[in-house]
Parts: sequence; C-alpha cells; structure tokens
Amino acid sequence: MHEYWRDQGCVIFEPYDVEKGAGTFNPATFFGCLGPDPWRVAYIEPSRRPTDGRYGENPIRLRLHHQYQVILKPPPPDIQDLYLGSLEYVGIELRDHDVKFSEDDWESPTLGAWGVGWQVWLDEMEITQFTYFQQMGGMDLDPVSVELTYGLERIAIFLQGVESAFELNWSADVKYGEIWHEKERQFSIYNFERADVERIRKMFELAEAEAKACLEAGLVFPAYDHTLHCSHLFNVLDARGAISVAERESYIARIRELARGCAKGYLKLLEERRARVLA
Amino acid sequence: MPEFLLEVGTEELPALDAPVLARALGDKLAQVLKEERLGFSGMEIHWTPRRLAVLVRGLAERQADLVEEVRGPAVAVGLDPQGNPTQAALGFLRKYGASPQDLKRKVVGEKEYLFLEVRTPGKPAREVLVGIIPDLLRSLPCRKTMRWDSSGVAFLRPIRWLVCLLDGEVLSVRYGNLTADRVTRGHRFFGPRELVLNSPAEYVEKLREARVIADPGERERMIQDAAKGVEGEHGVRALWTEELLGILVGSLEWPSPVLGKFPSEFLDLPAPVIAAVLHEEGKFVPFARNGEPAPVFLGFRDGKEDEKGYVRKGYERVVKARLRDARFFFENDLKRPLAERVLDLREIVYEARLGSVWDKVQRIREICKHLVDSLGLDGEQGTLLDRAAFLCKADLTTEMVREFPELQGVMGGIYARHFGEPEEVAVAIEEHLLPRTRADELPESTLGTVLSLADKLDTVMGAILIGEVPTGSRDPYGIRRAANALISLILRKGLVVDLFSTIDAALELYPQIPEGRDAGAVKGFLVERLRHIIRDDFGIPHDIAEAVLAVPRGDFLGALERARALASLGRDAALAELAQIFERLRNITKGHELTSFDPELFQQEEERELWREYLKAEGRVRQALANRDFAGALEALLPLGGPLHRYFEKVFVMVEDERIRENRLSFLRALLSLFLEIGDLSVLSV
Repeated sequence: MHEYWRDQGCVIFEPYDVEKGAGTFNPATFFGCLGPDPWRVAYIEPSRRPTDGRYGENPIRLRLHHQYQVILKPPPPDIQDLYLGSLEYVGIELRDHDVKFSEDDWESPTLGAWGVGWQVWLDEMEITQFTYFQQMGGMDLDPVSVELTYGLERIAIFLQGVESAFELNWSADVKYGEIWHEKERQFSIYNFERADVERIRKMFELAEAEAKACLEAGLVFPAYDHTLHCSHLFNVLDARGAISVAERESYIARIRELARGCAKGYLKLLEERRARVLA
Repeated sequence: MPEFLLEVGTEELPALDAPVLARALGDKLAQVLKEERLGFSGMEIHWTPRRLAVLVRGLAERQADLVEEVRGPAVAVGLDPQGNPTQAALGFLRKYGASPQDLKRKVVGEKEYLFLEVRTPGKPAREVLVGIIPDLLRSLPCRKTMRWDSSGVAFLRPIRWLVCLLDGEVLSVRYGNLTADRVTRGHRFFGPRELVLNSPAEYVEKLREARVIADPGERERMIQDAAKGVEGEHGVRALWTEELLGILVGSLEWPSPVLGKFPSEFLDLPAPVIAAVLHEEGKFVPFARNGEPAPVFLGFRDGKEDEKGYVRKGYERVVKARLRDARFFFENDLKRPLAERVLDLREIVYEARLGSVWDKVQRIREICKHLVDSLGLDGEQGTLLDRAAFLCKADLTTEMVREFPELQGVMGGIYARHFGEPEEVAVAIEEHLLPRTRADELPESTLGTVLSLADKLDTVMGAILIGEVPTGSRDPYGIRRAANALISLILRKGLVVDLFSTIDAALELYPQIPEGRDAGAVKGFLVERLRHIIRDDFGIPHDIAEAVLAVPRGDFLGALERARALASLGRDAALAELAQIFERLRNITKGHELTSFDPELFQQEEERELWREYLKAEGRVRQALANRDFAGALEALLPLGGPLHRYFEKVFVMVEDERIRENRLSFLRALLSLFLEIGDLSVLSV
C-alpha cells in the first residue's frame, strides 16, 4: 500500500501517537482536509473503538483494529479506478472476485464532519469506507477531499484465506492472536466492566479544560491532542454504559465545539502565514 | 425523425435512488420538450447504478413556430381620424417588421387596441437541446447532494461523463467540468472502459456487448429467473422482500447468480434470524423448504458468472461467519429468561423527558388496560395482554436485537416461547411492532393488535406532549410514521375504539409535560394524519375528508365509514342543493349554542313541516348511528332537504321578537347538529 500510494504522490505518514477511534482523527486528515492547498497522504492507523470490543471472541469485530488511510485533496476524477488499482497492487485479482460500491454516508458528529460515499464490499465482506468529505470541523470544504479507509485485518483475512483475525500470520511464525488476543480480552473487561466512571469523567473535564486553554492561546495542535483525549474518554464512558441518551448529545456537542475551535484556529493560522502549514 | 440520447454517467448511485432519479430525468425532459414545442413520438428510460439515460425517439427537427398576438397602442392613439397609422403605430410596426395591413383591432377591457400576430420561427432541435440540458441536470431531485470538484456542480454522487447525441451528432453541452461526448463506459470489470456510440439507437445493444444491461426490467427478470431456477432445482421457495429485490436491481449492471450453501448445523437457528443474516445489507436471497429455512442462498455477482468459484467461497465464508455470530448471540440470550430482562429496561433511556424504556412499558400497560375496557376484551385476555405488554420491550436488552434491530419483537416472541410464556403472549410480542409503516402487514392476533395500538399511541403522545411535533421533512422521532401506522392499524383492522377518550385517560401518565401542552395537540396531530391517510390510502376525495373531519371524533374508523357513505351518494343536483342549504343553516346558527326549543312557538306551516320531518329523521339517524350504519344515517337526513329549502324560502328567522327568534335558532341549531353527525356538508364541492 505504501508503495502504491507513494507513487501517487502521497506523503507517507505515521500513525499519530494519541489514542483515537479512526484514522480520520489523525491530524494529517483533520487538518489536511482544511484549507485550499492540495494534500495527499497515506498512513496506517491503529483505531480504538471500545464499544466494538468482543473479549477477543468475535473473528472480525475488534476493539482495536488497523486502518490504512489515504487522503487525496482534491480527488482526481479517476479516483475509483485508482482505489481499485490499489487492491490489485496488493494481490487481489478483481476479475476473479466481486467488488461492489454500496451506499454509505459517513458522519462523525464529534469531529463536526460528514461525507458521502460507499462501503466497498469484496465478495460481500466490507473492506473499505470510501468517502468524499463535505465538511470537517464544521467547515465546508473547498476543495473537497476523498478519504479511503481500508480495514487491514479484513483485507489480510481475505489474502491469507483464514476465517478470523486472530489466525492471521503477522510474520512467518507469529500469529495476530498471540499479540492481540489477550489485549482484546483485557480492554473489553476494562471498557465494559471496570473503567471508573467518576475518574474518567474527571479526566474528560481536565482534557476539555486544557484544550480550551490551548485554543485561547492560539495553540491549535496541542488543543487538538486534548480534543482527541476527550473523544476517546467519551468512547470509554459510552462503552461503560455510563452515558444516557440526553447526556450523549451534550458530550458530543462539547467535543464538536473543541474540534470546531481547532479547525477555525488552523484556518486563521493559514491565513496569517500565507505559507503552507500542512496538517 | 431524429433520435436523441442523453446519458449521465456517475459513480455508483445508491440502489434505491437511481430509479427515482431516472424517472425524474425522463419526466422533466418530456416536460421541457413540451414547453419548448419540440414534439417526439416515444421515450425510453434506462438506468444502472452507474448511469441514467433517456432515449427520445421521433424527435421534431425543429421547434414548432411560435405565434403570439402582440398588443400595440390603443386605436385612438395609433390611428388618425382617417384610419391611417400614426407615428406610434408605425413604431410598433417597425419593431416587428410588419406592414399596416397586418394590423388587427381588438377590444381589451374598455378600449380597442391595435394588435399584430407575430410569428417566431422555431429553432433547430439541436440548438434548443444544448440550452436546456444543463438546467435539466441541475433540476434533478436529490435526497442529498455532494460536491466532488470545484465546479460548483452538486449531485447525489459524482457525475463522471455525459453522452449527448442527436442522431450521429454530439451536442456541445457543458456541465460543470464535463463536456458531453459520444463515449460511454462498459462494465467496470468486464467491459471496455470507453465505448464509442455512433448513434442513440445502438445504446442498449452496445452496452449489452460491454456487459451492461441498461434496462432495469430486464435485470429484474434475470434476478427472478435465477431465483426460480434455484426453486425448481432444490424444491425450495425464495423469501423475497421488495427492498431486497430493489437493492439487487439497483446495484448490479449485469446480475450473475452465485448459489451458496451453509452448513445445515445452523438450521436450528430461528428462521427469522437466518433470513436477517442473509438479508443484511440487501445481499442474499434466503430460501425455505416446507416453511423451514433451507441451507442455500443466492447472491449476485456483478458482471459475469463465477467461473473459478472464488466468489461463492467468499460469500459462503461471510455467511458462515455471520451465522456463527448469530448463534453466539442466540445462545447468550437464552442464558437469561426474558422476564428477568425487563428490569434492565430501567437502564435504557427512551427519551430524557419521557424516562426509560421501563417507564414506556408501564405506560403501555396502562393504555392497554384502558383499551381492554373499551374494546370489550374479557378478563383472561386482559391478563394475557398485560403479560405481553410487560415483556414486549425486553428483547431490546438481547444481543441478537442489538445486532439485528429489525428482529425486535420477533426475537421477543421467540424468547418468550422458549421460556414457557403462553402462546398468545408470544404471538402478541412478535406482532406488536406491526404495522411498521402504513402499508406494512398487520398483526393477526387480537392481543398483538391492541398491544401495537398502545405502543404506537404512547410513542406519538409522548413525543407530541414534550413538543417534538414533526415539521416539514424534520421528524427525528419518527412520529409521523408511528401515527400513520397507528391510524392504518385502526382503519385496516376495522377497530371501533374512541381514541380521544383513551388519550384523555392516558394523559396523567406523562407528568413531565411542559406547561400549556395538552391532549388537544395530540388529537389535532392524529386527525391531521387521518385526513391524509383516508385521502391517500383509501381514495376519499379531498372535500369529503374535510366534511367528515369538520367535527373531529375519536372514532377514526367512523370517520372513514362516514366518508365512504358520503362518497357513495354520487354528486348530483340534490346533493348540491343540500350542500347549499347546509351552508345557510351553518351561517345563520353561527355562534348560537345548542339549547332547547319549544315546538309550540312555531308559527308557520313550513316550520311545523320541518319539525315533523326532523323528528322522523332524528329517530332514524340515532338508530343508524347506534348500528354504525352511516349510509343509513345519511339516507335518513336526505329527506330534510326539501322541507329545509321551503323553510328558508318562507320563514324569516331573525324576527324582532326575541323569543320567537331564539326558538327558531335553537331548532335550526339542533338540526345542524344532526347533520354534523355525518359531517359539514357545506364544504362539499358539488
């Protein structure tokens, strides 16, 4: 994937070292989609989703999975062909299989982001979310960006012909399950049963206060790190069943407010510098 | 005669939107051609997930000439006394290149004017089409729009190519960053990327060679034939839903069947669970053998048969993994009796102001109790209904329902049966969400029907009492759909129930409601939905719906039956006269309260005649209403028309003498009320 997308002019980026629910939250996507400058980036992102934990007992539903994320701004007109080319590049013979683009409009209320696109199904297994972002951080995007989010475990399952992520060979002699199974189990116990609700709420408040203070000082990137903390802590509270429907809305609105502040601050920065400050 | 082809090439359109857009494209083009005076003999609409196309046959070469009458100066200004054109008229003639003998005279209003008949020659079809296509594309109704480049163009999905051919000629249409050409595209994997069209006529066949079936009807036949083949070969029956068929037709350019099997060890899962796994995302067609699930399913690969069997293997792996998940959920769910789960509903917020799902269940039970009385169910049925109401939401806490929300209710029934609840209870739980929409299937059992009614009524009442009244397309709580389903249930099941008294009785169950909200808002909203439903679903004409709903009643079935009685009358002169008389009756009694009157005070024969007829009619009307014979009631009212007519001709109601006047008004008011038992006839347009 790195080779393929590098040849398409992408910056090959690294996972961002703050916990997050999806590759979209990486600053290379959040900030990269904002502003007028062209931007192409690709990276792997370990993505934590506490509510998706299954104690390591489900073959493909994981609390932490790995995404391969590509952003192309603006999207080239042949983007679908480019995407399909990447599948062929990693060894999927498309004419022997069944590939469908099935309507799925993506939305992240916490990031104030939404887009239009598809889930891509390979022999009716979902392997990619394909989205034309229309808004990010509450800002209309011009130009728009296309986001490709590949589910790496799913694609590896397909390529290796196994039935469960835990059976994947990570190397010749190390299985995925040997590295991840116990972590899945422990984090599922933690997220669903053990996380201390009061402490997590306090951590949320602290991270939120810190993010706001950074925004006031015009420090958008540190503010964004703390926004990511908030988002993850909210996900933990949600998995823990500690958030009522009414509270949910207000938590989401609080995070979205921070994200919007980061987006605004970043756009202001771009305007002031009159030089590229990428992602 | 020329042929014209317009093809809009897109990235994959949502399966159920493509047909809507294709029809809109055809309708709008037909409308614009008509406005532009371009005749045509036929139109074909084609579409796939990647294209919307319209093929116009027998198109006129050019527009019909436009002939317009243009008004010039008034005759008094335009002609001198000798009848020769003045400077004003000459200017008018110059403007249109006409000569004095072309002038015509015509009276408009009070004055006579000079007129010219101006003929604008029609433009060639080519020129007109180039002008109208961009607006046509812009006007297509998208559920949601997106942008994909900086051209400012928006659509449901990116538009990537345009074909615009008038016979062999490419029309130079530009839209966004695209320029129309004669190049379409074949199947994404099994056709040429670029496909040159020489003429509109070869569109369908050239695409077929490129592995694309442009005609959705043909794709539907291919899909259904494949399913029939499986039915014949395996002695099974396909379990279709309209949505599944729609998604398959809408997501494939060349449906190629792939038959898969799953291990029969999964057949002990409940049939609805297996169907839900296969229906998921509109992917696979499930089959049944003798009413039981069969271990085969049919998927469709796009483009070409699965020669190497890889696709079948992939499908089977996905289905097996999902069935294994389902088995895991099922076994976990069976570890705890359904009744024990009810308490967990306290943890699930239904709505912040309306409490938890547990609170909702308590309200449903109370509403059920009221309905048991008004529907005349016996004590045993009442007990069973209460049990079903108590359990009906418990499946929300099960893993299966969390994974497959569409199995809500159905799983509750299955789990209830498993844990030994009475069969009636299980069935009522299973059916209590039906109908989900106004066209959906209905509950069969009495208890299921009553439970469904109570659940939906609570949903609607709760939302409206906290002020969540749907506006325009905004309906976050799905209240309009719930209300439609509720009313549809009453009307289609023929339930005689006074919804208003149930609403009044249930009002105390909502202690959190803000000031100023009352049962009136709920009743008003439901009556408004009733108005739509009897018009749209039961074919009641607009004015009759208005007439019977002029006096809102909680007996919704009665409104429909009254409307049907009125509709069966036929719109003749007699009804027209009655409507007129009724209007007089209503106007003259406006503001007058219903009070008693004294027949002794009647002075004229016409009054006494009307009084006698009124007495006859009243008895018959009351009797008919008691028997819910609304046609009979209406028939009893009709003979009042003649006497009323004579009354209004001869009797002066508003006399000086207050006693006489008030007495007459009271009598007429009573007469009015009797008519209003059917409806406000004055709104009838006859």
